[in-house]
Amino acid sequence: MNFDEILKIIFLSTLCFILAACATQEEKEEDKPVTTAEAFPSTYQAIASQPVIIRNATILTGTGEQLSGVSVLMVNGRIQSIDRQIANPGSAKIIDATGKWLTPGLIDVHSHLGVYPSPSHEANADGNELTNPNTAEVWAEHSVWTQDPQFTLALAGGVTTLQVLPGSANLFGGRGITLKNIPARTVQAMKFPGAPYSLKMACGENPKRVYGERNQAPGSRMANVAGYRSAWIEAKAYLKKFEEYEEELAKGEEPDEPERNLQLETLAEVLKGNILVHNHCYRGEEMAVMIDIAKEFNYKITAFHHAVEAYKIADILAENNVCAAMWSEWWGFKHEAFDMVEENVAMVDAAGACAIVHTDSPIGIQHMNQETAKIIAAANKSGFKVSPAHAIKWITLNAAQALGIEEQTGSLEVGKMADVVLWDGDPFSVYSRAEMVFIDGAQVFDLNDRSLQPATDFDLGILDPEGERL
Amino acid sequence: MKQIIYSFLLLICCSVIHGQEILIQNVTVHTQSDKGTIENTSIYIVDGQIEAIGARLDVASDTKIIDATGLQVTPGLINPYTALGIIEIGAVRSTVDVETDDEMFSTSYNIAPAFNPASSLIPLNRTHGLTMAIVAPDSGHHVFAGQAALVHLRRSGDLLIDRSIAMFARFGARAGRFAGGSRAAAYAKMRHAFLDTKEYVENSDAVMRGNWRDLSLPKHDLEALVPVVEGTKPLVIDVHRASDIRTLLELKKEFNLNIIIVGGAEAWMVADELAAENVPVILDPMYNLPGNFDRLGARMDAASLLHRAGVKLIFTALTTSHNPFLVRQSAGNAVAHGLPSTEALMAMTINPAEIFGIDDRFGSIEEGKVADLVIWDGDPLELLTRAETVIINGELIPMVSRSSRLRERYRNLNDSTPYIYRK
Repeated sequence: MNFDEILKIIFLSTLCFILAACATQEEKEEDKPVTTAEAFPSTYQAIASQPVIIRNATILTGTGEQLSGVSVLMVNGRIQSIDRQIANPGSAKIIDATGKWLTPGLIDVHSHLGVYPSPSHEANADGNELTNPNTAEVWAEHSVWTQDPQFTLALAGGVTTLQVLPGSANLFGGRGITLKNIPARTVQAMKFPGAPYSLKMACGENPKRVYGERNQAPGSRMANVAGYRSAWIEAKAYLKKFEEYEEELAKGEEPDEPERNLQLETLAEVLKGNILVHNHCYRGEEMAVMIDIAKEFNYKITAFHHAVEAYKIADILAENNVCAAMWSEWWGFKHEAFDMVEENVAMVDAAGACAIVHTDSPIGIQHMNQETAKIIAAANKSGFKVSPAHAIKWITLNAAQALGIEEQTGSLEVGKMADVVLWDGDPFSVYSRAEMVFIDGAQVFDLNDRSLQPATDFDLGILDPEGERL
Repeated sequence: MKQIIYSFLLLICCSVIHGQEILIQNVTVHTQSDKGTIENTSIYIVDGQIEAIGARLDVASDTKIIDATGLQVTPGLINPYTALGIIEIGAVRSTVDVETDDEMFSTSYNIAPAFNPASSLIPLNRTHGLTMAIVAPDSGHHVFAGQAALVHLRRSGDLLIDRSIAMFARFGARAGRFAGGSRAAAYAKMRHAFLDTKEYVENSDAVMRGNWRDLSLPKHDLEALVPVVEGTKPLVIDVHRASDIRTLLELKKEFNLNIIIVGGAEAWMVADELAAENVPVILDPMYNLPGNFDRLGARMDAASLLHRAGVKLIFTALTTSHNPFLVRQSAGNAVAHGLPSTEALMAMTINPAEIFGIDDRFGSIEEGKVADLVIWDGDPLELLTRAETVIINGELIPMVSRSSRLRERYRNLNDSTPYIYRK
């Protein structure tokens, strides 16, 4: 824990004490505005680690470079040095990675681990609040089962960070959360420190099917759009109320605090630029409509997810600085997923837009490198030139950018979190596996050391407690 | 008359196609026969068949020559558990024929009449080297799903080359639901069906005359089960839990059935018993989730463990309805987790051919066999490798699909031709 965090905890606990004490004098103090504490703050703490030097690996930096003959030094959870000559600070563990490859930890921007866990059954399927087309008030993190064995399987696939999203049944599905992939006893202890929240929105077939079948709006794509716009109009009014309140306070007046509304609070935070919009949207024309809605209400769409038709509007995505998160070749499960192109990611990338490979799958998340390899193969075969050093960005730095954490992680650069995967071969070979995974400089997985193969509570007593399922 | 002319033209066109002679030169051949892998050789294809394999071959003068220097050839890939041609778009019900809820049918439900050879899934899968598939029904209401068809993904002629190659069924939690809430009831239902089929076989005249007690299945369903109880038609059972697999092995012994396990998440736990009973497993090596309480023991190295115990393996890809060609990725992952690569290739070629009894024509590169071949631009199991050329029934397959045509249409967004005229 760093000093700031300690101070924060002291401050918060003092505040609690004061508030508790104040409660008895409630009547006297009632005029004073009550400051709302941050809800569900991250309590994530990096695992203590000794310095590590990794030598002789082939390195894909995540910034587009491939390096060899270079060593990486990780100290206190950060990448301290990437250089030809690195002196051992003394206590460092030295790993000779001859023949092995080093990449940033992989990042999946679209996951439902914990909210749709394994085993999957009605009692723990908690990813969709199917009761209203606008459930911006719900937060995916409150559904996360931290003992979902899918977290540790994803870790064995080199995934160090993931965004857990609500499902796509609603126009506004709720808040998503970015987690460090270290299963903990509480979800707060997995929350990526400082990562912004996201808002899951959904276009197309899912919302109109779910509600249309109940003879309720939206029953069509046009009602989807009316639904988004009506909600943003309300959110603008709500935001204005609070802005006026703040202004009056600043003038020294004593205004009544407007009543909080969890749904509108999330939308208002989007309008203020504090929450990032992640928008499930398959079809080209729908993405273009969503971009116009964002302009009308002056918010930003960070990324379209499942953007099967992104290649059709790649120039529009580039122009509007919107990322597209895509699959390799999933298609056909819905009509809006019918126009699959195997080179989609490479085409979006070639148009200068931010391209991301996402999985939305507890199996896919274990093989993000393989999903990327298939795209590299398809693209190079049909004349797009994609190098491994460039393609790794689709599952590292570009993904970090979409989550608003690109300053902290997503590439091997000095000063960044030491979220690192050492592969036992070329990461784009089907035969290669993540041999060691580091999160904030601490080794959290080792292919050859059972003591570093984590098992969730669920695994114990059901499988070999030493992680035999892997 | 019009029809006659049309048929005549068809005959000409197809005989031309079949008459095409092809020589693949300078290639590494994974024969999947006892000849193993042969380097720097040639394959000569005549009339849809493999005519000869060897370094120096005499060929007809108009033979199409393919120089495959540095490339590798395998037999066409076979996936024995797909929904090809019976599903176009998952969420568009009118295009989905996978299962029936009609209680009139169980074992007599045959998927063949639903198969659509014009499905857009087929060209895509062909370009990735899939040349043959079993199209299997799923269970809508009964432990028996019905009869599956064998489909040869050639471009001409009838693709359905066996309209009833196997009976599919289900056991475990989901079968229990179909049988009133318990897997024990599903077991009883299955066992009674076999007992009644035997009774039907022995007394069919009386049963047909109506001069017999009521049996547990209608006559058409009993009739469909006859080859299963006689052991001539494989019974492919979707089952995962180890205890359920053991139960099925008992049933196999009691009725002398020809059982194949599909799914088999916990099959590795009973690998020795499966090997002793000579029961093969259709496995997706990538499906390692404890996705439900029947599958808690799923693991990535299951293929390797089963192989070491002597169980014959076939691979499939369980997470995709539209891309059964991804069986190749499943095979590669099995190798990454300990399976020898020769075995992984066999599990997509000669093993399914042998197990489903079509190895006289398919599954390996040998003289006299049907010319279903894939030329790969690298290691056939690697994901960075692509199919360079696909030959089915001796015919070169155009490497075109809806996907590739959409790619070409949108390749250059600045093209001055409005996109709807780019084809």
